[in-house]
Amino acid sequence: MNQKMKVLSLLLLCLSLWTCKEESYIYEVNEVRVASSNTDKTKEKTKEQYLNIVYANLFQTALSPNKLVQASNVVESIGDKQVAYETILAKFMKEGNVVLPSNASMRADIPKFIIETYERFYVRKPTEAEKTFFVNYIESHPNITPEHIYFSFASSDEYYYY
Amino acid sequence: MKRRSFIKKAALTTVGTMGIPYILPSGRLFATTNPPIAEHVVLVLFAGGVRQQESVAQRYLSDSQGLNIQGNPVEGNIMYNMLTGAVPEVKIVYGTDSVGGQPGGLPISPILETPLDQQGILFPEVRFSSGGTGHYTGLSTAVSGNYGLTQGLQNRPPNPTIFEYLRRFGGMKGTDLWFIGNGINNSTPLLNYSAHPNFGSQYGANFFAPNITFGSPGDAFLKGAKIYHPEEELDPMREMRAFLNQSFMQEGKAIPNLNNTEEEQENIKAFIKQTFEKRDNNQIEFPLVTDNGDLETIGYATEVMKHFKPKLTVVNMSASDSCHSSFTDYLRAMHRSDHAVGHLWNTIQQGNGGAGIPGMKNNTVMLVMPEHGRNAEPNAITDQNDWFSFDHDGDLNSRRIFTMMVGPGIDGNLKIGSEANPVGDASDLVPTIAEILGIKNDVMGQGLLHHDAMSLFDRI
Repeated sequence: MNQKMKVLSLLLLCLSLWTCKEESYIYEVNEVRVASSNTDKTKEKTKEQYLNIVYANLFQTALSPNKLVQASNVVESIGDKQVAYETILAKFMKEGNVVLPSNASMRADIPKFIIETYERFYVRKPTEAEKTFFVNYIESHPNITPEHIYFSFASSDEYYYY
Repeated sequence: MKRRSFIKKAALTTVGTMGIPYILPSGRLFATTNPPIAEHVVLVLFAGGVRQQESVAQRYLSDSQGLNIQGNPVEGNIMYNMLTGAVPEVKIVYGTDSVGGQPGGLPISPILETPLDQQGILFPEVRFSSGGTGHYTGLSTAVSGNYGLTQGLQNRPPNPTIFEYLRRFGGMKGTDLWFIGNGINNSTPLLNYSAHPNFGSQYGANFFAPNITFGSPGDAFLKGAKIYHPEEELDPMREMRAFLNQSFMQEGKAIPNLNNTEEEQENIKAFIKQTFEKRDNNQIEFPLVTDNGDLETIGYATEVMKHFKPKLTVVNMSASDSCHSSFTDYLRAMHRSDHAVGHLWNTIQQGNGGAGIPGMKNNTVMLVMPEHGRNAEPNAITDQNDWFSFDHDGDLNSRRIFTMMVGPGIDGNLKIGSEANPVGDASDLVPTIAEILGIKNDVMGQGLLHHDAMSLFDRI
């Protein structure tokens, strides 16, 4: 009797293990890059936000808190903020550590460079019209370098907004 | 025939003095609404809070500290570039230090041969008639002609500033107008334009706080900035940016700006570059003594004037506010503010080997006014000389200030008003500057000044 009970228990255990087995599902989503359009940008950056972001965009590293205070004070000390920002940008460009693609790589694939620049500074993709303008402009201006284009983006109105 | 000739000449003279009309940016035909008195104005805000007793009254230590020596009150004039009067003979603490000598025992030599009160008009008893006697309210009143009772720090003046009036009604450009601040604290950078809906940033003045712009923060973030080639680099950069901005502006976003033209902006950048170079080569025309921030600010203000020849330059000082905790430091600061004013006027009229500032020499009216006074009664703090300190809480004494003006068309050696008969209000500066530069009627017609505001010329 006792032996029969043991066999029965074992059978029931095996049965329960078999019945509890779940089917496993793997869900996947397509990778979608989230990017805003310029119509979504309604808030003006504070000078601290602007300086932090432009420094990160250009140097690919964060601005230290002490330097941020100093740079912010410099902007405050000049009435024409565009003059202040452009002079700071020109100072950054002279420092030599700005992470810039080479002129050759830009010209090797201009559409790719344009898309990457829009994503880097505006956090969005260019429209076809924007892409066409820049492709034509760069092709027709052999002296234009990535530095000039970065400067234009970093001192443009859209870049002051988020 | 002679009568006809006279009328013709008189009419031509009148038209000539009113200037040649031209179209303002707003589309209105501009002509001065009154004959201008001079082409340039410099307003020195002798700020920080200055008591009448130690300034125009020349009582030195007698009123504040009750000091008498052998029965004689310790009195005297420590502002001898601005005021006529004998200097104190004892207890000299306001000068520079000497090795082994009394601290502050060497008074700074006078710069001007003739004190300004003899060259121009002194209003010795002017009233700060309304609002709280705070620094920002005082400065805001000086540049807007209205006390703006509800406005405080971190807010722009609620009423238009003289800068905005001059750009809107006088057709001046941004770099014609400068506010040179002694720093960026106390909301000083907000004084270059107002929050008034009919005026604002597009009519604002340019601003520098030289101790920051040309101090160590400026060294780190401005000095040595790359200069792009105007045609080969700047032009295409601007073209690309114009395209980017056009695309963004279609969405109706407006960026607040001073409405400087691209040429003006490049001129400001060139000035920044040149000023760093001049500073490093010891070519800034600083006053002889530069041992406080106010004196350095004045040195940079003269550089702005030499470069831009502004129609209006406003410069403020503040070191006298040390009176909250040290009467000795207050005396030193006031003596230095006088040194600064003397240096500024001398640079305009006699600098550069006697040539002065071209275009501004003999064509500039300078106005000097503290933003408010200080209390009659001291606080509990004593300094290294056991002298009492003074705050500015809005008592009657802190509402007593003076105003001085000097320049072409200003009578000399004239004193108007007295302690018993005060003449003038802190809000008078805006209509006065408007009259000097030829837009008084436009400014008065806006109805945005304090009800007591009046041109000082009308008070004479």
